Amino acid sequence: MYKYVIRRLLLAIPVLLMSSLIVFGLMRVMPGDALIALMGESGNINAKELAKLRADLGLDRPYHEQYLLWLWQMVTFNPGHSIFTNEPIPVALKKAIPVTLELAAIALVLGLLIAVPIGVLSATRQDKPEDYAGRVVAVSGLSIPDFWLGTLVITFAAIWFQWIPPIGYASLWDDPLRNLQQFLLPAAVLGFRLSSATMRMTRSTVLEVLREDYVRTAWAKGLAGRIVVYKHALKNALIPVVTIVGGQLGVLLAGTFVVETIFALPGMGRLTVEAILYRDYPIVQTNVMLVAATLVTLNLIVDLTYAWLDPRIRYR
Amino acid sequence: MSTIAERRSGAGGRLSARAPAPSDETPAVDSGVEISRGRALWRTIRRKPLGAASATLIAVLVLTAIFADVLAPYDPLDADPTIRLSRPSAAHPFGTDDIGRDVLSRVIYGSRISLWVGLLAVGIGTAAGMIIGLACGYWEGRLDILLQRVMDAIQAIPGLVLALAIVAILKPSTTNAMLAIAVVIIPGNSRIVRGAVLSAKQNRYVEAAEAIGCRQPRILLSHILPNVTAPILVIASIWLGNAILIEATLSFLGVGTQPPTPSWGLMLSSTGRAFMEQAPWLAIFPGLAISLAVLAFNLFGDTLRDAWDPKLRKS
Repeated sequence: MYKYVIRRLLLAIPVLLMSSLIVFGLMRVMPGDALIALMGESGNINAKELAKLRADLGLDRPYHEQYLLWLWQMVTFNPGHSIFTNEPIPVALKKAIPVTLELAAIALVLGLLIAVPIGVLSATRQDKPEDYAGRVVAVSGLSIPDFWLGTLVITFAAIWFQWIPPIGYASLWDDPLRNLQQFLLPAAVLGFRLSSATMRMTRSTVLEVLREDYVRTAWAKGLAGRIVVYKHALKNALIPVVTIVGGQLGVLLAGTFVVETIFALPGMGRLTVEAILYRDYPIVQTNVMLVAATLVTLNLIVDLTYAWLDPRIRYR
Repeated sequence: MSTIAERRSGAGGRLSARAPAPSDETPAVDSGVEISRGRALWRTIRRKPLGAASATLIAVLVLTAIFADVLAPYDPLDADPTIRLSRPSAAHPFGTDDIGRDVLSRVIYGSRISLWVGLLAVGIGTAAGMIIGLACGYWEGRLDILLQRVMDAIQAIPGLVLALAIVAILKPSTTNAMLAIAVVIIPGNSRIVRGAVLSAKQNRYVEAAEAIGCRQPRILLSHILPNVTAPILVIASIWLGNAILIEATLSFLGVGTQPPTPSWGLMLSSTGRAFMEQAPWLAIFPGLAISLAVLAFNLFGDTLRDAWDPKLRKS
């Protein structure tokens, strides 16, 4: 196993380095240069101030030095300041990351709570109205944009129930009830999006497993339908579902960018979108790199977990 | 030597009825019946009503985009403040927006932006992915290792996040959103083409072409490329839906199409959100248009896959 772990780790490092080069390169190909682009848009600034700002951000150094410096700053969790607010980026991230993590975690749980029961129902009632309804829900999840669903949810919650999520972020530790009210709708929107692929996978794997001999044996023993499906079939059917959930992590992270913007949650996604709109490139490059690193790490963990669960994977 | 059936299957873009996709190593010689891609698609569409529905929806969308000038009852930019935020009526079936522009006309014209961006982005992304995939799969070696690591690195960044970062650099506009989407598409396409090329080049007719001294570009273009077009077209059709969705998302976030151009995502963010309680139609119709377009391309992609390359279902 340890050889496999080392091999996967060695493969992840060049991918991360290459991603960092892409992110760094992207920020440097901005027409003109980042600061001139920025200052040209924001107003007048004299040459002395511009030179100082450029030196502060290390933009007067050669590209390879800038890259190595940025890499070092990323590794030491000190990626500099926001150009606009002058707030240190780690401080901004410290506030934003828990919001995104909470949103992603609730969305993941809600996504599974929607996907698995509907997927199982769809499979056990194959080609019946329940199955068609389940499949329509799954296909809708893939086609309805999160931002539209989010907008509709806010609108109709306000029109029908005269209720809108409380404004002004409250942390989970300070005011759990208010926090839950703020996170429930955005997490449900994101969870719905996540659930569609999982739902389709659950349906097809449960259908497959229900045709296995051991399930037939369970039926033949006279076990109750619920026990056959939930105790015998679902356990094995869920293994490929975990694979799909692992593959959805990118969708989950990207989804937080949209949902946080709609529901005004001060997470990583909203921070990045605002930084993009203001062309605050230190924040953009730090956040994009952080998202890439998170995704590579999560995928690595998922791969290692599979290898641990299924030893055949290690020898492929 | 390759049989006639193999050669036809390889160079003519035809499918075997019983044998699997053309990239498969199994020769199509004993399959008995050969059918064209068009007929394979027609057969699947007839068998699956959802395929027919999605094809119809796409046809309607394309015709709407082409004949927008004829179909739209009003100029999409014409504002009439006296009828601002009017409810849907016979004169304005989708209502009017905050400055009195006809929403139906804007939705009709919006189909142009969505389709145009989708088609161009997928075209550029598919072409670039195909070139990289062909080169990596055919030559392998260091070039393959290097390019595939670059593709890994691009794929490590979620598509929407990468598109957002690219648009941030190039400045928000429809063209830049399109380029950003094209970049997002390249890695996935290159992998699929690479896999198909690796499989196709094991065929005996490629070996035979090499043996009789065919030049590499000819082998690539005449013998291998026709064998990988099915997966390319299937993936491209699925990507069209995603491209439309990403364009709408970028416009919604304010970094795609800029006002006053009618774009579905922009309509939702600019007026749809601001007046959603007073005028929900401003949010409902553009969103419905995006969902239907994405749904149609997703379902049509599934149909193409079932007709041309069922093996892709696993990937």
